[in-house]
Amino acid sequence: MTQEVTHWLDNLLKEIEGIEVRRKSSRRVRVDVPADALPALLELLQGRAGYIHLSAISCVDWIDDDEFELVYHVWSYENHSLVSAHIRIAREPGVYLSVYDLYQPAGFFERDIHEMYGIQFEGSPNMEKFILTEWDGPPPMRKEFDSEAYINEHLSWQEYNPEWLQELVAEGGGVIIPPEEQRFSQKKK
Amino acid sequence: MSKPIDNAKQSKQNVTIEHEEAGSILSPLKALQFFMRKPVTVPLEPRPAADNYRGFHLNDHEKCIGCSSCQKVCDNAAITMVKVPHLPEDPINGIRNLRPAIDYGRCCWCALCVDICPTSAISLSREYVHTCTQEEIDSYFILPNETGIHGEYYGEGWQKTSDSDLLDLNRQPMAELEAEERIDNFNEIVAGYTDQQAVIEASRCVQCGMCHDACPTHMDAPEYIRSIWQGNLEEAVRWIYQSNPFSHVCGRVCTHRCEDACSIGRRGEPVSIRWLKRYAMDSVDHERIKQIAAEGKADYLSGKQIAIIGAGPAGLTAAYDLIRKGHQVTVFEARKEAGGMPRYGIPEYRLPYDMLDRDIDVITSMGVKIQTGIQVGKDITMTQLEADFDAVVLAIGLHLGRSTRVPGADHKQVRKAIDLLRRTTDDEDYEIPHRAVVIGGGNVAMDIARTLARQQQQQLGKVQVTVTALEDMAHFLADPVEIKECLEEGIEIYDARGPQACIIKNNKLVGLKTWKVRSIFDEQGRFAPKYDEQDEQIHAADMVIEAIGQMSDNNLLGDELTEILDWQRGRLSIDEQGRTSADWLWAAGDCVNGPDVVHAVADGHRVAASIDEWLNQQ
Amino acid sequence: MPALSKASFLEHSHSSADPKLKNKRNDMRPENYEAQRQPPSNEYELNFGPNHPGIEGNYALKVKLHGDIVLEAKADGGYLHRGFEKLMEQRLWIQNIALVPRICVPDPSPMELCYSMAVEELCGLKVPQRAQWLRVMQLELSRIAAHLFTFGGHAATTGMYSTMYWGVADRDLLLDLFEEFTGGRVYSIYNIPGGVRRELPDGFLQRLTETLDYIESRLPDYDNLFFKNQVFVKRAKGTGVMSREQALEWGVTGPNLRATGLAFDVRRDDPYLVYDQLEFDIPVEESGDAWARTLVRRKELMESIRILRQVVEILPDIHGPIRAPIPNPLAWNVPAGETYTRVESSKGELCYYVVSNGGPKPYRVHVRGPSSMHAVQVLEKMSVGSRIEDIAQTMFSLDACPPEVDR
Ligand SMILES: Cc1cc2nc3c(=O)[nH]c(=O)nc-3n(C[C@H](O)[C@H](O)[C@H](O)COP(=O)(O)OP(=O)(O)OC[C@H]3O[C@@H](n4cnc5c(N)ncnc54)[C@H](O)[C@@H]3O)c2cc1C
Ligand code: SF4
Ligand code: SF4
Repeated sequence: MTQEVTHWLDNLLKEIEGIEVRRKSSRRVRVDVPADALPALLELLQGRAGYIHLSAISCVDWIDDDEFELVYHVWSYENHSLVSAHIRIAREPGVYLSVYDLYQPAGFFERDIHEMYGIQFEGSPNMEKFILTEWDGPPPMRKEFDSEAYINEHLSWQEYNPEWLQELVAEGGGVIIPPEEQRFSQKKK
Repeated sequence: MSKPIDNAKQSKQNVTIEHEEAGSILSPLKALQFFMRKPVTVPLEPRPAADNYRGFHLNDHEKCIGCSSCQKVCDNAAITMVKVPHLPEDPINGIRNLRPAIDYGRCCWCALCVDICPTSAISLSREYVHTCTQEEIDSYFILPNETGIHGEYYGEGWQKTSDSDLLDLNRQPMAELEAEERIDNFNEIVAGYTDQQAVIEASRCVQCGMCHDACPTHMDAPEYIRSIWQGNLEEAVRWIYQSNPFSHVCGRVCTHRCEDACSIGRRGEPVSIRWLKRYAMDSVDHERIKQIAAEGKADYLSGKQIAIIGAGPAGLTAAYDLIRKGHQVTVFEARKEAGGMPRYGIPEYRLPYDMLDRDIDVITSMGVKIQTGIQVGKDITMTQLEADFDAVVLAIGLHLGRSTRVPGADHKQVRKAIDLLRRTTDDEDYEIPHRAVVIGGGNVAMDIARTLARQQQQQLGKVQVTVTALEDMAHFLADPVEIKECLEEGIEIYDARGPQACIIKNNKLVGLKTWKVRSIFDEQGRFAPKYDEQDEQIHAADMVIEAIGQMSDNNLLGDELTEILDWQRGRLSIDEQGRTSADWLWAAGDCVNGPDVVHAVADGHRVAASIDEWLNQQ
Repeated sequence: MPALSKASFLEHSHSSADPKLKNKRNDMRPENYEAQRQPPSNEYELNFGPNHPGIEGNYALKVKLHGDIVLEAKADGGYLHRGFEKLMEQRLWIQNIALVPRICVPDPSPMELCYSMAVEELCGLKVPQRAQWLRVMQLELSRIAAHLFTFGGHAATTGMYSTMYWGVADRDLLLDLFEEFTGGRVYSIYNIPGGVRRELPDGFLQRLTETLDYIESRLPDYDNLFFKNQVFVKRAKGTGVMSREQALEWGVTGPNLRATGLAFDVRRDDPYLVYDQLEFDIPVEESGDAWARTLVRRKELMESIRILRQVVEILPDIHGPIRAPIPNPLAWNVPAGETYTRVESSKGELCYYVVSNGGPKPYRVHVRGPSSMHAVQVLEKMSVGSRIEDIAQTMFSLDACPPEVDR
């Protein structure tokens, strides 16, 4: 981005109330806005600054803060810069607005986030399941869902007992540290 | 061959393909020409894959030490550590008889295990395929050795290279005083780690626990190192106090068996476990350390009384453990101050005594009573202790210096290292020699040589100290660091020299005569030095200092008790718990087991546990 | 795996909040399945996939047809869902380097790079020059391999299997190179935060040049067999058309976008590694149909070869380490922060959003595969109105990669 464009963008962004702008590098800008200001921000970015490409919407579960973070990454083909707009919404009830009307790719990302985190996007065209069609557990990307525990509860492991192991056991040796113990010790620490 | 860049230019023109117009319905038929070509055939027999290929695991069982780092880094939990009983198990040297077994139902052939392995024992082969029927599914779980999964060696594929090595083989450098800065004082030489250095150093650890196994008192080094790395220093101190109440001392002067066993030391410099311990101890507020040490102390009194003779590491560790169990402990110490050899032997440039004071303060703050200036055997008898206490611990160390007994060794200017070091601590004046010759090549010899060097520099303005040792440089007993620093400080070291006589002229000591040592031990491994008498040297000296070992002063026991107790070659016999043949008397530390602080600490724990168990049975 | 069988798209159009879902789901099991009686009409449903030779990987497109014209289409994923994003949160930073290439089988290298770049950015690691050039080499080889694969598949959808055999066989020569310098034929696991894991074997650049020469010499053969083949040209032209406006609106990137005339390429417009020091063109086509998309890829082959020749030229003069020092992977806390890294994969804009909370494992990794656009919404939209025999061709010409969508 050229200097000029940078200034211009900064001034433009000032129009949004409560906005915090951080320039991370010449082509990366992070902005934080209150959740209700996001649509206005995106409209501004898309309509007046050329950020017409929604690259992705990322969701982060900040379970300790009881919040979800939604990050809208938009790219401008003209400025060659990527603005990542961050908002936080309450984890419960986990509802937010769809931006599909502004950016069609949002349809996929919102559906994905709905499926993986359980966030409801009002006005999104399609909140149907896509990947986890037969899944009836909690939205699995939520931090409280422990996939390892789930596996251990629902599946059983194949046990090996090859000859060499039987021989070692007969000699007084054998399995001392199974892999999961090492994994759990990692978990504890 | 044309230059690639030109090629690139050419190819640029190539990009315009006029597909539409050139395209004819017949153009695909041009492919028919391939019918005429010789077909490409690849023989079916197995062939080795590329040199870097990540095939199946190979493990050199002689190199592998069973550290299980591979298991920790494995992203797929594919590795099981299996005990192979016929392989050596040697904790002191950091070797376990565990070996990794691989589950090929999980392995993804990433070779992270190879890249982390501290010994570079493990690698991947150049073999492509393994498969089997459902019935043979066990063949997916293998204990790799040098030959490979099917017993046929295809050569090593992916191996550790310096590019891919995931371990940092270099330790964080330690800031130290230069020779000029330290030679005229007793200031501590080693500066200690900064916060940043400590975290980086701690991060080098792979948490194998070899150090724990090798440590005489089995300190939880992996745990406190990890706590340091996480920045939780109080937690580190908590782990430290699980096993060692002498950690200010050990953090500075420990002989660090742990570092000798460290897996990282296989190819690189071992983790600085000792300096990390010191860092943790130095970083936490002393009052807070006291609180942490007191955690878990019994909140009742057992009513039992225990006497401990000797306030060195062994005695005080036993006292610490016993007071935690609710017993009452009284320590009798002959010297003016508690601390034992760490105070009266180890020089202050290695161990500032206020650090020792802190360790002792933690112990006394828990209620241990230390009565200094009471020499058992003189001020109070063993009989009396036996009568007044439920149990007695003998932890008197080794405080009599041994003599070479060479002619002239009884001259008053022939002194014992141990004696001079004590005088230095007690600030007792003695005349500083102009030319000192030390006999002995161990750490005690280094301590006295360097102590004298400092005193010479302070009082006489120049260093003239010579060390003569039986051993040659390759077999020197003292730490390499000590030797290096001695030389830096201007001390001369003569290796492989055997003392023959102290030369006395007109009643004055003038030197030490030595012969070249040809061998120290005979075929049976007994001490029997042989000399080359032709190679004689006279080392000028106005003082000769013997630093060839110490023995314990057992006079305190009295004839009667000495008679009752079992002895073995002049040493008090004890059982595995440290108990003597008298059921009320235990012995710990240097006087029965050597040779260093951490062994004394381990001994202290051992007798305390035995006493506690016995008292509870009463 | 989530599904053995799935309901027809009519049946499962209810939201997950539907309390009846549980029963419904049981109905879907094959053993419980009963054909539903529908009012007589000329419309019918057809499931493309999940096991269908016209589908790239396991994926399904459920279409409603009138005659052979598609009235409605629904993409159905999940058959390749392996929970990578969740898994990554449970693994040490280093362990994920072995996981990420598996997200996209045909073009795994950009995955490695994108993840490594994210960790590097969070840690402030400076990647040595030589490693950057080696990475470019790996990426471009991967691009060629991926394109050859796609051509083969695409040709097969129009019944031309020879191209597929050729493509797969020639790709194998590239895999030989991968085997040689990364140790793995498909999943190279060559990148590591800080750089790459291996120096080049002796004489490698020579062999690379030979392979490039060979591939280049083969291009006329491919042209004759496939790209100039009138059967293909006629079938591909005008099939699966999207305009530039549509492409932009739908979030399409990569060759698919360039086939609508917009010369956008992350390598040039949001450069990473040393791409800004390399000379290459960005081929574009205007017509936005299956033919244009394929032609763009065909031209990109040449550009990748051109880039690789520059790498061969320059690499011997770039010395030094191939990796910045990194901490012991067992004790590695990546500083708290977040970053969005972007690379141009063979299929378009590939991005990773990586969040660290300062711990030993990633707090969140979001993988934005380019196919998540063109394999789902875009494919659904483009299929409507097309003829049944063009569905597979549309899908292949988009280079839709289901594993990248499912993650
Ligand atoms: C010069 C020197 C340097 C050393 N350097 C190191 C080193 O760097 N690292 C290391 O780990 N180890 C070192 N050591 C060894 C270490 O100091 C001892 O192994 C350790 O102190 C033994 O502890 P202890 O409690 O058994 O005996 P000591 O520490 O010797 O304590 C015994 C105590 O008992 C007291 N005592 C003896 N007789 C009586 C009695 N009759 N009545 C009352 N009290 C009595 C003594 O005064 C003494 O305080 C060194 C030793 C010396 C001599
Ligand atoms: S990391 Fe190496 S030495 Fe340690 S157990 Fe594994 S193979 Fe053996
Ligand atoms: S190669 Fe990778 S997955 Fe396989 S055992 Fe080693 S670390 Fe585990």
